Amino acid sequence: MKTALSAAQVLVFALCSAAALAAGATPNDAQIAAIVVTANQVDIDAGKLAAATTKSEPVKTFADLMVKDHTSVNQSASDLVTKLHVTPESNPTSESLKSGGDQNVASLKKLSGAAFDKAYVDHEVAYHQAVLDAVDKTLIPSAQNAELKALLVKVRPAFVAHLEHAKTLQASLAGKH
Amino acid sequence: MKLSGLRFEPQSLTVHVGDRIQWLNDDLVPHTATAADQSFDSGDIAAGQSWTFVARKAGTFDYACRYHPMMTGRLIVH
Repeated sequence: MKTALSAAQVLVFALCSAAALAAGATPNDAQIAAIVVTANQVDIDAGKLAAATTKSEPVKTFADLMVKDHTSVNQSASDLVTKLHVTPESNPTSESLKSGGDQNVASLKKLSGAAFDKAYVDHEVAYHQAVLDAVDKTLIPSAQNAELKALLVKVRPAFVAHLEHAKTLQASLAGKH
Repeated sequence: MKLSGLRFEPQSLTVHVGDRIQWLNDDLVPHTATAADQSFDSGDIAAGQSWTFVARKAGTFDYACRYHPMMTGRLIVH
């Protein structure tokens, strides 16, 4: 019962992250930059923990991909903000993403085995859905700089692919129980 | 060849033996061009980087990105 509760808590954190992303009114470009970098970093942190913890080969493959892809996206994002002379500006959305990510990692660390895999993958599904919603509804419409907007548009297909991958994994994990 | 939006563009390409084919990764994430029959494998092509391959053998080669298996392409070498 204890692990089930923890898994539920993980999901709550994911939904909090989603709410944080949706609540952002109209962020400026410096704030968008901070949101993008934080959103990627949160998923890198969770991915590193999952890659080191899981015993499941498909979960490890997914976690390694998250680390690889989100690290690459963050490299492009940081190259762009350097070029544009934009300093990422911390804001309630980026801070909430960071604390939600930290809570997720702390909660996952208490789990192991199948409970860990389920909690990690459930969170990844909710998180990528939340990030995609934010990209579509808030970040792309709010971005003023054309190159920043283009980066957000360009990153979208990768996040869609991650969401589909996570959903497939979620279904296969559910089938095992 | 361009890798963009998690797609190979064009999805199918016909070339001649001896032609050089370049895959340019215009995405923000690393990709590979890996033949199903293992006859070629780019290894990681980082965002913004490219990989060049000289077609030495005639045939039809289906390939995919190792990391994003929904990304598929076909190289036809005459």
